[in-house]
Amino acid sequence: MIAPMKKVSLVCMKEDREKLLSALQHSELIMLTEGEGGRSGDDRDSTALQRKADTLLKELSKFTKKKGLFEALPEVDRKDFDVISESAVDEMSRLEEAFKKKDRLDSEINGAVDKLSELTRWVHFKKDVSLLGESGYTVTLLGTVPVKNNESLLEIESLGTEELYRNEKECVVLVSFIKSEDVTKTLRELQFEEAKLPIKSGVIADEVKSLEAFLTEKKKEREESISELSDLANKSKADVELLFEQYRARSELSEIRLPETLETVVFEGWVREDEIERFKEAVKEATPLFDVEIRDPEEGEEVPTSLTNKKLVSQFEGITNMFNSPKYGDYDPNAVMAPWYWIIFGMMMGDAGYGLMMAVFILLGKKLMKPRGETAKLMNVMLYSSITTIIFGVLFGSYFGEELFPSVLPFTAMEDPVKMLIITIVVGVLHIFTGMITKIVLLIKEGLWLEAIFDQVSWMMIILGIGFIFLPNMTTAGIVIAVIGALIVLLTGGRSKKGILGKATGGIISLYGITSYFSDILSYSRILALGLATGVVGMVMNMLAGMIQGSVIGFILSLLIYVIGHVFNLVLGLLSAYVHDCRLQYIEFYGKFYEGGGVPFRPFKIRTNYINIKKD
Amino acid sequence: MSGIAIAILGATLSALLGGTGSALGVMYAGKAAAGVTSEKPELFGKMLVLQALPGTQGIYGFLVAVLVMVNTGILGGSPADLTMAEGWGYFFASLPMAIVGLTSGIAQGMTAASAIHMTGKQPDASGKGITMTAMVETYAILALLTSILLIFSL
Repeated sequence: MIAPMKKVSLVCMKEDREKLLSALQHSELIMLTEGEGGRSGDDRDSTALQRKADTLLKELSKFTKKKGLFEALPEVDRKDFDVISESAVDEMSRLEEAFKKKDRLDSEINGAVDKLSELTRWVHFKKDVSLLGESGYTVTLLGTVPVKNNESLLEIESLGTEELYRNEKECVVLVSFIKSEDVTKTLRELQFEEAKLPIKSGVIADEVKSLEAFLTEKKKEREESISELSDLANKSKADVELLFEQYRARSELSEIRLPETLETVVFEGWVREDEIERFKEAVKEATPLFDVEIRDPEEGEEVPTSLTNKKLVSQFEGITNMFNSPKYGDYDPNAVMAPWYWIIFGMMMGDAGYGLMMAVFILLGKKLMKPRGETAKLMNVMLYSSITTIIFGVLFGSYFGEELFPSVLPFTAMEDPVKMLIITIVVGVLHIFTGMITKIVLLIKEGLWLEAIFDQVSWMMIILGIGFIFLPNMTTAGIVIAVIGALIVLLTGGRSKKGILGKATGGIISLYGITSYFSDILSYSRILALGLATGVVGMVMNMLAGMIQGSVIGFILSLLIYVIGHVFNLVLGLLSAYVHDCRLQYIEFYGKFYEGGGVPFRPFKIRTNYINIKKD
Repeated sequence: MSGIAIAILGATLSALLGGTGSALGVMYAGKAAAGVTSEKPELFGKMLVLQALPGTQGIYGFLVAVLVMVNTGILGGSPADLTMAEGWGYFFASLPMAIVGLTSGIAQGMTAASAIHMTGKQPDASGKGITMTAMVETYAILALLTSILLIFSL
């Protein structure tokens, strides 16, 4: 059912804006429509802090344990969520300090490593570095020349050259000469490269030694700081996550654009009629100074849809919403769709063993993950469907791909797939008929009796008649029913067209619609195909495991194959059943009677990624 | 006697072409999914579902291959003494799955890639994308059914 909606305009004093917004955010009762020309609040601090916490969390993730796939989110009380705890802020700044310390150590280490690699090249120069350079008339330079030029360098008489070290490519040389342009030029021609030393005085070897000592010390410090950091990170990750959510909630509050006057702000939005009183309570709690105006939706307004189904049906709402939300003032198809989705899912899986596995896994998952919202609903849909999966598994005699117990039906899909195909087609016809009957009810409610007979009943007669033809002793009756149906279509199909000719061709053209019904019904053969796929793959897994069961090791391996193989098959089967069951509902079923096109009701609330907020 | 070899050819083709179609399809989808995930890692779950969709053709092809093997006794260890005509029967029965497995796997991969791009821009539309992608699979399912029904009737 679709809940009736009221439009609410709430006026309050400007200074109560944040307080009221926060109360509304927690109450989750109103879907705000942001007024044109409204102004957003100003809370730059929260926005900046939210970003800071976000970056910090990204950094943190390198030092903390990964969250398990099935780990539930921590729960936080609403009252605790409203208060930003001092100690968490402290933790956050301590973490930031720790990161800064680590960064500083990193850059110190990098600097020392660079310096060291520069110096070790010149370590063969044993004297004090301050001797190098110009002194009076003489110049002493330390540098390298390519090996091939070393001879020519040694031959120059005006140059005192001392070779200190050589490797395959270059020689480290010390040259001293009386200052002159010519010599400098020659040196350049011989590709002499002067050493650029990072120190101005002292012996290089000593410097290297002290640098190495410095490095070991800093590296130790860095390791300490990392272990300290990861301790801190694991300890206070939860705090930072909570802070991030708190800052984000505040920053989102301030981003809401609301129209305002000099002294007041106006909140506008949609509230469910049955929740109006609760809404007023929530507002009263936040501020005594307010004025509220409540009215019915007007013509042409886009009213959001909120559904009020019983718990069982409401779990299936997500499936419809994925297609199209029901339109406000229209009808809600979930109650008719849910049982069919449930049955067809079971038929597609069709294996008692897998049904049991589904139930166990989902119950376990619900216990461990404590899912919420859409995920929880989808899990419930699967949980309900595990029941039909078991029922159809027993009917079809399929247990993990084997016929452990004889099937309740007189045949199995493997023995007689054609009979099974007929069963799926019959299910398809019933499913489509449900859709058409729903359409008939809707038409009759609008008083369109003739439309219902001409466009729906006629086709049902044709389909039913054709079906009867295949039954023994019913052939004549079948032909009669089908022909009457076809005549109705032929005579009335073109009623909206102009002129005799238009009406006649219109009738013939609508009779051509038989192809679409035909393909719709055949589409249900996928139930058989998917059931067979699950069954045969399961059977192959059993066969593979059976082949290697000769020895003890083989037996252990075969257990592994059983477990991995069947879990793999179950996951694939679930995906296929989910997708194709949806398709059957959207195309074959909803195609008959449902359009949708509404906007889902999304109340203003706190979005959270890292925590769940406990309702009071 | 050599009928069994022709039956094996049919089984091999259906596993081979179905697998190739799925591999290509999953690749197209996977490339698109990797692109979207690089920008929006939180959509990984939805991407994975969409990427897995073109993977079914490989399984269907494998399924047909197994059914041929079971029916001809190859998997039981004692291959039946098939005539040439029977061998060709299995071969032709495998063809729908083999050929449609290849083509629909690729086609579904391309549709999945587009659906992935759509989901990247509008995460809420992933269900619509899944449905669009599943539309392509209908034809692989029909081919599978044709092959299965033929094999069972042989």
